[in-house]
Amino acid sequence: MGIVETKDLVFEYIRRDEEGNVEGITRAVDKVNIDIKKGDFVAILGGNGSGKSTLAKHINAILYPTEGKVMVDGKDTSAFENTWSIRQTAGMVFQNPDNQIIGNVVEEDVGFGPENMGIPTEQIWERVEEALKTVDMYKYRKHSPNKLSGGQKQRVAIAGVVAMHPKCIILDESTAMLDPSGRHEVIRAARALNQVEGVTVILITHYMEEVVFANKVIVMSKGKVAMQGTPREIFSNVDKLRELRLDVPQATVLAWHLENDGLINKKGVLDKKELIAALKERKTMGATVSDSVIAKAEASLAEQQGAEVEHKSLSEEKPLLILDHVDYVYSKGTADEIHALNDVSITINKGEFIGLIGHTGSGKSTLVQHLNGLTKATGGHIYFNGEDIYEKGYDMRKLRSHVGLVFQYPEHQLFEETVFKDVCFGPKNMGLSEKEIELSAYAALKAVKLPDEYFYASPFELSGGQKRRVAIAGVLAMKPDILVLDEPTAGLDPQGRDEILGLVKDLHDEQGITVILVSHSMEDVADYVNRILVVNDGKIMMDGEPHDVFAYKEDLEKMGLAAPNVSYIMQDLKDTGFKVGTNVTTVAEARVEILRSFRENA
Amino acid sequence: MLRDITIGQYYQAESPLHRMDPRTKLVGTLVYLVSLFIFRNVGAFAVATLFLILMVKASTVPFSYIMRGMKSIITILLITVVFNMFLTPGNPLVSFGKFAITDEGLKMAIFTAVRLIYLIIGTSLLTLTTTPNQLTDGLESLMNPLRFFKAPVHEIAMMMSIALRFIPILMDETDKIMRAQAARGADFEHGNLIERAKSLVPILVPLFVSAFRRANDLAMAMEARCYRGGDGRTKMKPLKYIHLDYVTFAVLAVYFVGVIVAGEMSPI
Repeated sequence: MGIVETKDLVFEYIRRDEEGNVEGITRAVDKVNIDIKKGDFVAILGGNGSGKSTLAKHINAILYPTEGKVMVDGKDTSAFENTWSIRQTAGMVFQNPDNQIIGNVVEEDVGFGPENMGIPTEQIWERVEEALKTVDMYKYRKHSPNKLSGGQKQRVAIAGVVAMHPKCIILDESTAMLDPSGRHEVIRAARALNQVEGVTVILITHYMEEVVFANKVIVMSKGKVAMQGTPREIFSNVDKLRELRLDVPQATVLAWHLENDGLINKKGVLDKKELIAALKERKTMGATVSDSVIAKAEASLAEQQGAEVEHKSLSEEKPLLILDHVDYVYSKGTADEIHALNDVSITINKGEFIGLIGHTGSGKSTLVQHLNGLTKATGGHIYFNGEDIYEKGYDMRKLRSHVGLVFQYPEHQLFEETVFKDVCFGPKNMGLSEKEIELSAYAALKAVKLPDEYFYASPFELSGGQKRRVAIAGVLAMKPDILVLDEPTAGLDPQGRDEILGLVKDLHDEQGITVILVSHSMEDVADYVNRILVVNDGKIMMDGEPHDVFAYKEDLEKMGLAAPNVSYIMQDLKDTGFKVGTNVTTVAEARVEILRSFRENA
Repeated sequence: MLRDITIGQYYQAESPLHRMDPRTKLVGTLVYLVSLFIFRNVGAFAVATLFLILMVKASTVPFSYIMRGMKSIITILLITVVFNMFLTPGNPLVSFGKFAITDEGLKMAIFTAVRLIYLIIGTSLLTLTTTPNQLTDGLESLMNPLRFFKAPVHEIAMMMSIALRFIPILMDETDKIMRAQAARGADFEHGNLIERAKSLVPILVPLFVSAFRRANDLAMAMEARCYRGGDGRTKMKPLKYIHLDYVTFAVLAVYFVGVIVAGEMSPI
């Protein structure tokens, strides 16, 4: 028998009105049967609302089944007397790093679980030391958790569970709020636990690339198990994954295209290495590709590029916002003086679609807060439409309506009773007439494609993605010339991310709004923007078109960034003797390049 | 703007004050506060100053770091000083129409200001050198006799510890929400009292929503780690008096006697 087993598990959320009458029932988990063996590394994949987190909370006896059964290490979770031993057997790490750390010092937090279990003092210390060493956080044991990065906080949270000596550890979307390096740290720690300590790991995520290491993958959709198997089995079914709106790694998609083109015959390619090996094998066999196949790939590439050319033509040589040698220094003159921005000069032209890229702490968020005057530079000048915004008497509020800034997790600022009222907040502050306010709020909500029936709903009743749209509409309602979005896709699943990015693209293409998209992910922005600014240590390191920027792979890596995965594939192919161009940023381009190289072979 | 508040924040270091039992520090702080209020003369304050300098040195916390916490009370301090200066009866030194600064007032103002500043530094030292967990452990232990009267001592201590842990997080969050609403043209500085009070709604509502969400998450995380109240819990850092504590109690006694003697003998 496995360590975690569910039998026809059903869970229903019951919503009640104020009198306690049942208003509606949502079936979050629907007849799920899973069986996880001791020592397994299992990944549970799925979009938001697929029921994956609800399932996870059953394994830790935080939720109890409406119907069916959950057995953990042979114990039934619905029996109350088992609760504490189950929670000790199957430890859980949650999504938000801040909201699960109880202690004010790292080691005290890790000791919290053993304290609750009644472990004698000397043994608590042994467990804490061992747990912190397992996740490589021992040297931070005396630190305050508030000063750690997201990835470090999650590793502390993992240590907090490890110190309870569980047989199984569940990571419930623990990587969703982290940046790429934080995600790597957490996955590395989880793998070490699995391989070295033999702890069963259940990883719940919506990032496909994290499941490659698992020996079993369970894909959930609408409360049911949609697919189940080894990563290779799952990855060979790209059609189904796309249908479920999951993010398939670029190497897998590229391999899938090439397989459909008849070039390779390996199914379920997991990574770059496997793809290159498959291509090499075909090359030595002397495989060729017919012109008609190449023409088909070229056509699909042209279709994608057509859209790009269209929005490139929108930008004019008309400077809208100019940053002239801008400096920003925190706590000047003290020991912890930080040079957050260092001699930044940028010109932003009307109609541009800019990607502002930098890792966490690079200064990109500080930079965007200068654009609308929220933070005042300690040196240099900023001109909007030719006027110096630091000039005495300059109307800052007006500037803020021209340069709309959407913060990270903007849905956390919603406060009104209805969606419509909330969106009216911006235009109201601009002193417009009642009629103008309502017209612009209505137009903004239409622009973010929120269905009409939600206009008078409370913003707190909407789903995560809908809330974010409302928050974006709240800024759009001020009719900005420039829209700045700080990590607009943070914490969203792949489907939500694509929807928000698509929406931003439409705003740029259809309404002619100049867009600045702040992100730490190159792959996310490569498909959309026509200019990239790379920020590191408060300085602008690169400024140019995506192709030109991505050519500097090594420099990007030194800054904790990376070019899209395909450009690495092409580089490696070239290094192993393929005649391919490396100036490639999208899968469609890579596909054409590879196919062409096989024609030249013939 | 909200980042400057250091009260309630722990400063990481290895010093005698950091190693001391929190109960010793709590009692010590209490004794110090009482000593500040017994006398109002140069002699007593001289001894108090000496003691404070000794403690700040012993804590190894940079003095500038401690002083950063003063920024938040500077308004209160100024108001107290001005009121004391003008409203204490005595011989006028300088007069502005109806109001006058009196010699008694000036003395009173200086002593009150010094007393307030010492009070803040003293209590800051306690929180800077004691992790909130130790602090609550200390309070829990000192309040233990209250359990006899069915007071929920452990629960109160846990609540305080959690509140302290989330103060910096909620501060950051407030700052972020204020900026985000300002980006939508909100104005918190202008207008009359009612308008200003109204302008706080867009900050307070999201802040409360977020605090509730965090509370919910945290409660779940605590339960998942087998938290079920104070019964049957062991301690990772049980409180234990060490040699240093006994020395400190002796120093405290000497200090207290010193203040009384100096206070009685002081000419002014």
